[in-house]
Parts: sequence; structure tokens; C-alpha cells
Amino acid sequence: MTEPALSLRGVTKRFGGLTSLDNFSLDVEPAEIVSVIGPNGAGKTTLFNVITGVYTPDEGRVFLHGEDVTGLPPEKVARQGIARTFQNVRLFLNLTVRENIKAAMFGRTKASLLGSIVGSPLARREEVEKEEQVREALEFFGTRLQGYRLDQPAYSLSYANRRRLEIARAMATGASVLLLDEPAAGMNPAETKEIAQIIRRLRDDRGYTIVVIEHDMHVVEGISDRVIALDHGVQIAAGSFDEVATSPAVIEAYLGKGAAVTK
Amino acid sequence: MSENQTGNQPETAGESGRGIGTDEWVAQHEQRLNQASGPFAALGQRWLQLPRGIQWLVPLTIALLIPFLTSNDYILRIGVNLGLFLMLVVGLNLTVGYAGLLDLGFVAFYGFGAYMYAFVASPQFGIHWPTWLAIPMVIAVTALFGLALGTPSRRLSGDYLAIATLFFGQMFLVLAVSSDAVQFPWMQEPVDVTGGANGITNVDPFSFFGFTFSSMTSYYFLLLGLIVIGVFATLRIHNSRHGLAWRAMGEDALAAQHMTIPPVRMKLLAFTVGAAVAGLAGSVFASVQLGVFPSTFKLPLLIMLYAALILGGLGSVPGLVIGAIIMVVLPEVLRFPDYSNWLFFIVLIVAVVTTLKSWKIITAVFVSTLAVGFAANGIFLALGVPYLTTPEWTEGPLAPILGAWVFMPEDRLLYGNIAFVLLVVAIAWMTTRTRRTRLIALPFVLWLAVFTWEVRLLLEPSVTRQLLIGALLIVLMAARPQGLFGKPRVEVL
Amino acid sequence: MEYFGEQLVNGIIVGGVYALIALGYTLIYGVLQFLNLAHGELYMMGAFFGFFAMVAVGGPSAAVVPTWLMIIIMFLVAMGGGAGLGVAVERFAYRPLRKSRRLAALISALGVSLFLQSAALLLFGARVRLYDTGQFINLRSGFSIGSIRIDITEIMVVVGSLLLMAILWFLVNRTQLGRSMRAVAVDQDAAVMNGIDVDRVITITFALASGLAGAAGVMSGLLLFPVDQYMGIFAGLKGFTAAVVGGIGSIPGAMLGGFIIGIVEAMATGYLNPTYADFIAFLILVLVLLIRPTGILGKKNLAKV
Repeated sequence: MTEPALSLRGVTKRFGGLTSLDNFSLDVEPAEIVSVIGPNGAGKTTLFNVITGVYTPDEGRVFLHGEDVTGLPPEKVARQGIARTFQNVRLFLNLTVRENIKAAMFGRTKASLLGSIVGSPLARREEVEKEEQVREALEFFGTRLQGYRLDQPAYSLSYANRRRLEIARAMATGASVLLLDEPAAGMNPAETKEIAQIIRRLRDDRGYTIVVIEHDMHVVEGISDRVIALDHGVQIAAGSFDEVATSPAVIEAYLGKGAAVTK
Repeated sequence: MSENQTGNQPETAGESGRGIGTDEWVAQHEQRLNQASGPFAALGQRWLQLPRGIQWLVPLTIALLIPFLTSNDYILRIGVNLGLFLMLVVGLNLTVGYAGLLDLGFVAFYGFGAYMYAFVASPQFGIHWPTWLAIPMVIAVTALFGLALGTPSRRLSGDYLAIATLFFGQMFLVLAVSSDAVQFPWMQEPVDVTGGANGITNVDPFSFFGFTFSSMTSYYFLLLGLIVIGVFATLRIHNSRHGLAWRAMGEDALAAQHMTIPPVRMKLLAFTVGAAVAGLAGSVFASVQLGVFPSTFKLPLLIMLYAALILGGLGSVPGLVIGAIIMVVLPEVLRFPDYSNWLFFIVLIVAVVTTLKSWKIITAVFVSTLAVGFAANGIFLALGVPYLTTPEWTEGPLAPILGAWVFMPEDRLLYGNIAFVLLVVAIAWMTTRTRRTRLIALPFVLWLAVFTWEVRLLLEPSVTRQLLIGALLIVLMAARPQGLFGKPRVEVL
Repeated sequence: MEYFGEQLVNGIIVGGVYALIALGYTLIYGVLQFLNLAHGELYMMGAFFGFFAMVAVGGPSAAVVPTWLMIIIMFLVAMGGGAGLGVAVERFAYRPLRKSRRLAALISALGVSLFLQSAALLLFGARVRLYDTGQFINLRSGFSIGSIRIDITEIMVVVGSLLLMAILWFLVNRTQLGRSMRAVAVDQDAAVMNGIDVDRVITITFALASGLAGAAGVMSGLLLFPVDQYMGIFAGLKGFTAAVVGGIGSIPGAMLGGFIIGIVEAMATGYLNPTYADFIAFLILVLVLLIRPTGILGKKNLAKV
């Protein structure tokens, strides 16, 4: 019985009078893909924020590969092996594609400032490795972000490419757990299908553990090993996609009281 | 699944070298838009094609040759000032340009370094450390000072950081000016720590291995060497692990944090390194001046530093060099009415020629301006306004031309002031008009500008210099916020 | 005890002036999230405008209008001129930068500050002016509490600034215009979509803030502070400090901050070395920033991640 890659125990987060997460617990096994669904305001992004350390939970603990990361600042949590994308893409817009990815490798490299300036052997070696990593991260996306594009500023990328770059950047941190916040938002059907394929390949080919927040049920259906439904900070259903999609509680949460009856 | 569905052309065209693929052509659109056109463009293109090393070698060679081409101490002095200023800009660039930290108290580090050096190398306390000991000490202590300043500010960002650092800077200044009679509890008499408003004098010059820096030339070369190191380091930092981390932080601090970049540590590092550089510059300053005076470390210097950075373009190394050169050399030129006259007209003409694309229009504008001038002359004469004749108010080769064309009233203050106000209003008005209206109004405004310059602004060079710097900053931000050499940026607010 | 009272009174009076300057800062920051570092220069211009208005109606020695009318004229000219200048500055220096980064606007503000100082130097000359209102007996009359003398001018300053604050508070919280201002403060784009003329609101904001600065300038002159091109720098910094200490974005906060800074400064001047008084004012600001960045009455901003 391997230990879970990501584990939340009784996590509660309040903002003033509003309880955003209420006694929430979750175990995600290594190389598992878990989707989190729920109406807007259910607490999904707050969940990510608590995991990555933007918020410290009022109660409960967060474990990453068995290590207690509760309350650690985001940069420390990231170094433990978890990276995320954002609901509204947060790239380093004025940096090039290459620079976006290299910047994320800060935690994996050790060269000192002085070493970088004078070109110490360590610094030079790491630069070569970084180029290699850039290639590795981007080849995952086929011909999309290649060639001349690498030196284009991120703001020149199309929307879909920006989302892909954000994922590549998260990969570059060396994480083994990825939190993807609405990766398919704003994409057309073809792009959506492609993103779903990419998420599956991330797990199948590279062994990532992935937690996805999504609204697009096609994506959720296509990728998830397990689905968790949240509403008002409380887990209202968990299980396979079919189980959750037909659960009366979930239907009520999305469509209101009475909708469950007809299903 | 086909790639074409997302609108991307297959990359084969570009990759196989059969010609640029559509995407690449589109991507270069911005580049083409920004390309200058006109007579200077060809020159600019040739320059840009030279390898980077050669590009830097040219100004370096010029800088190396200057002390041999002139023994004028004044020119060397300007060179030294430029060197000091550049060092400060390099330090500031780290903090502001890379890490995006709005440090409005930066000059305090400069002052701190200067005072520290003076403490250990002057009669103030009777301590005279050897230079090889004093300098590292100053750098280290100033770096610590930077750390001390950065630590309480580490959680502040944006506006609040600006405010806090601004006030730290002011506090330093007030402390420096008031500490000439500090009563320590364990001493009988108050101690003169900083020399108050008069500062500290008779500071030791540098001396290494028996060689004492006594001439302006020696300091010139010292600073040149330091600048070369500083610029080189900046270039190296740009793409280094830390450089990217800072730049990422400057873009989106929260996202950077999620990508393993520790914001507090990086902020403090930026503050510390920036402070260390400024401290080093401060020690050189103190030894060149042979004294430390608090009036140097006031807000105007800070504004000039920021102006240089912004003018050159944040994030551009050649930019900050050129920005610094403009900020230091320009005020010097403005001291001499003849030179500043030339400069004014050259700038005016260059500005007109580079903004108006066609030679026809340019000639038309210049001819009309001349016409307006003569017409104005006539009007003034007809109104019987008392005036001065040429030799009294300007000399040099431009005199006859100016005399014939520009009307110089006797009451320069009154007419000059009116013209100044009219000029400001006219320029502001012009920005709200269409291109055509602007073109028509241009000759009048140009004449008015020359009139104001000759009649009023030349009278008070120091005020004019401030005025121009202020105006420059305003116009620059409105028209070209990325500066001369910066890349246009995209902001998320 | 008397000495303490005297310093306290001094502090309150100067505090009134600082409060007005702080009000201007806080108003602009509240609506635009922009620190108008050139605000102090509008105060300086106001002082000059008031001076010239006074001279224009004959000055203290040969006034062609009764004193009370002269004062009103001075205030109107200073506030009107200040407002006009502020609107012009916003229109030409800041408006192009609305979508740019903070740094750009800040630099522009520094540029405006430099420009206004130099323009004042150029147009008005380097001579320091004094509102020579000593000639007016009625301005100097007053009463005494114990041995502390308070004259009408000083009462007018304090009452005036409280009054202006009250008017401003009413404007922002109880009128349609105020609601528009608050809407623009929260979300400019949404405000536009709700039919609010954002440009007009911002122009009015600047007009109000700068008018207040102008009024502060006249008051400062009436209190016999010297009028020169550099008066805006320190007064601006102090007013700014007051705004931040009281809670930037909060109108009562600006008022509170103004009086606090004024009193602290007076106490420090009275009991300690006067030069350290500035230092202490700044120190307070820094401490407040570190302990409670949003100031005493400020609101916390929760940004959505």
C-alpha cells in the first residue's frame, strides 16, 4: 500500500463569516487523475490555494508524498514537488517562452549569483541542462511551441498556446504532482480534446499525479480515475464519473432542488 | 486530430527553410511596425547587424581614448561623474529593472557608502584605514544596510514599498544632516558624527599598493574599469538563474512563487546587491570629491537615476548606458549658452525630421516656421515693443541668423513668461488634435518654442534643466513608456 | 502644562493643513489607486495663486475690498486655479498612462512635480513671498485660553478644513457623483459598462483633490508660512504620510492622519530637536506601514487569486 501522493485531512478554510472549505479530506494516489467539480464558488480554487500554500487552513493538514506541507509558503511547497496552473492564465507575459520555462527551474538549480556572472562550471552545466529540460517539456506538445516560437514573448501566443505553456512551465519545476485549474476553459472542441489527451499522456507517459478542476464534463469523463464534487466547501459526492454525475446531490447543486427527481 | 483546426499553419514552410511560414511572418509583425523608417534607419540596421562584442567595443574604445585626446580636467570630471552615475544606474537596474521593486530611497545607499568610507578614511574620527581594507568594509556594511532596509519592507509591494523606501531615504538624509552633535549617553560631550549640513571634508583619496589616486585621470580609468565589470555582470545576470527569477517576480510575483521562486529571498538579494553597488560607488565618490556632502543625496539625484533608467528602457543594458549618458552630459552642455543653443536646435531639427516621414513635409514645416518668425518680428515691431539687438544677447556662429529671425524684447522676463505659458498650453492643445491640425499648428509652435528658449529659458540654465527633465519624463511616459531601447511591454492590471 | 497646550494647539492648526493635503492624496488614491506624488506642488501653486490674488485686489495695504471678501477671493482663486491645474495634469500627464504599469505613472508624477517646481521658479522668480496679512487687525484678533493665544486665522484654518472634509465626505457617500466615484474605484471597466463616464469622474476627482490642495496652500500662507517653490515637497510628504497613516483611501482617515502628524510634529519640535521632528514623522509612517499597512482607518484589500 503506497502512501498517497497528495493527502488532505479535515481541511477547513474560513474567510470572515464564509466557510470556503469545510472539513475536506482527500487522498490522491500516485499517478492518479482526480477531477474536482462543483458550481462556481464551491471552493475549488480555494482548495488549490490551500494545497499550494497561498492560504493556511484554519483546521486540518496537507501532506505531499507523506510530508506535512501545511502552512508552508508556496515556493517551499512547490519545491516539494507540486506545481499548478491558474484559472486565468498567469504567465510571465513579457518573458519569452523559453524564459518562462527556465524561470521555473529556479528551485532545481543551485548556481550562485556570483557563479552565474563569472560562468562557473556548475553554472554552465546547469544552463546546458536547462536547455535540455526546455526541449523535454515542450516536445510534449508536439510542434506547437517549437522553433522560432521559443524566443517570442509569451504575450504573442494564442490563448490555447498560453495554456499549454503554463502546463509546460509547471512541468519544468520538476514537480510530480500537477494541479490544473480549468485547463480547458475557453478552448474550442478540438483544443479541448487535445488538452484531455495531453493530460492523459502526462500520466501515462510521465507518471504525473494530476488533480484537475474542470467544468467541461466531457473532459472530466475522458480523463478521470475519480471525481470529487464540491459545493459550498463540502464534498457532496465522490467516486467514478458515472456515480458522481448521477448523484442526486450533485444534480441538485448544479441545477437546483427538484432537478434530481427527473434523473 | 489535425493541427490545422486550431488555426496554426503547418510549420514545415519555415522549418524546412523554403520561406517563412505564415505564423512566423505574423509573429514578426510587431518587429516590422517598430522598425524606424527614414534616413537614419539604414544606419541603424547596419549597426544592429554587428556582433554584440563589437557593438560594445566601440563605446569602450571611445571611452578609453578620451583621456588621451584631452587634458581638460573638466571633461574628465564629467567622465568621472558619468562613471559614478552609471554605477548607480547599474545597481538601481537590478532592484527596479529586474526585480521590479520600486526603491525610492536608493540614494541613501550611495550616501551611506560615502559616509562609511569617510568615517574610516578622514580626519573625522582620526581613522585612516588603507584602501584595500576600507572598500570591502564599505561594500559589506552597505550591503548589510540594504538588507536591514529590505527586511522590514519584504512584505510590502508596489505602492507601499515605494512609500516605505522613499521615507527610509528621507530619514537617512535627515539623520545625516542633523548628526553633527549627537549626545551618546556614555560620552560627556556631544559627538560630531556626520559633520551636519557641511559634511565631512579632507577625505583620503584611494591608494593601492603605493599608488595614490590623485588625478582625475586615474579615477576616470578606475570608474571605467568598474563600469565594464558592472555592465558585463548585468548582461550575464539577465539570462541567469537569478536574473530570470527576478524578471519573473517582476512580471507576476504570485505565479513566480508557485514556480519555486522565493520572493522574500530574491527581494532581499536585490536590495542587498543594489545597495552594495551603490555603496561602492559612494566610496569612490567620497574619495574623488575628497569629501562627503549631504546635499548630494537628495531626491533630485534619485529622479535623475530613474529618468536615466526609464529613458533608456527598463531591462535594456545599452539603454541604461545611453540613458545615463544623456542624463549626465546634457545638463553639462546646458551650462554653456552657445553649446546649449546648438543642442537645442539640433534636437529640435532631429525630432522634426525623424517624426515627419516625408522630405516634402519637413521642408514645408521649416519654411513655414521661418515665415512665422519673420511675421512675428514684423508684428512686434509694428506694436512698438522695445527690443535688444543681436550682440548683447547671443554670440557665436548662430548669432546673425537668430538676430534676423528671433525677436528679443527688452523685457525678457515678461514676454518670456507669457511665451512659456502659451507654449505649454499650445503643446498640450496639440496632443488633442488630429494629425493634420497638428501639422498646421507645428510651425507656430516651433517658432514659439524657439522664442521661449532664446528669450527666457537661456537666462536660467539650472531651472531650464529641471524643467526639461520634468517635461522629458512626462512626455516619455505618455509617448514611449518603454524608453528608447526597451521592448514594448504588455501589462496585466 | 501651558507649553504642552501651546504645542498641542499648534499641532492641531498645522494638522488642519496637512489634513487637507492628505484628503487630496487619499481621494486620488482611493479612486485611481495612484499615488499622485505631484500633489504637493498643487498646494504650492495654490499658495502662489492666493498670494497673487491678494496682490491683485490691492494687497494688505491698499485693499479695494473688505478683508472678508479678499479672503474669499483668495480661496476661490487658489482652489479654482489648483483645480484647473490638477485637471490639466491629469488630462495630459496621467490619462495616457491609465493602462500602463505603476512605475510609469509614478515616474510621470515625479516629472510633473519637477516641472511644476521649475515652472514656478521660472514664472514667479526665486523670491520668497509672505502673505503680509499682519496689516489686517481683524485677522489677528482672537482669544486666549490661559496664556495660549488663538487667533481667528487659526480657527478659520481648522474649521475650514473640517468643513471641507465634511463636504467631501458627504459628496462621496451621499451623492450620485460619489457613488460613481466609488464605482470607478472598485472596477473601472465595470463602471464604464454601467454607463458611468469614467473620464468625467476622474477629472472631477482631480479637480476636487487639487482644489483642496489649493485651499491648503492659502491657509498655509495665511498662517504666515513662507511661500516658495519648494514648500510643496515637504508639505507634500507630510500630507502623504498623514494619508497613509490614517489609512489611504479613507476620508476620515486622512483627517485623522493629518491631525496626528501635525500634533506629533509639534510635540517633537517642542520637546526635541526640531530637525529630528521630520525624522520622527517619517519614522511613524514607516512603523505604521510595517505594522498596519492599510493605516489606522484603512480597509484591507482582498485580491482574488
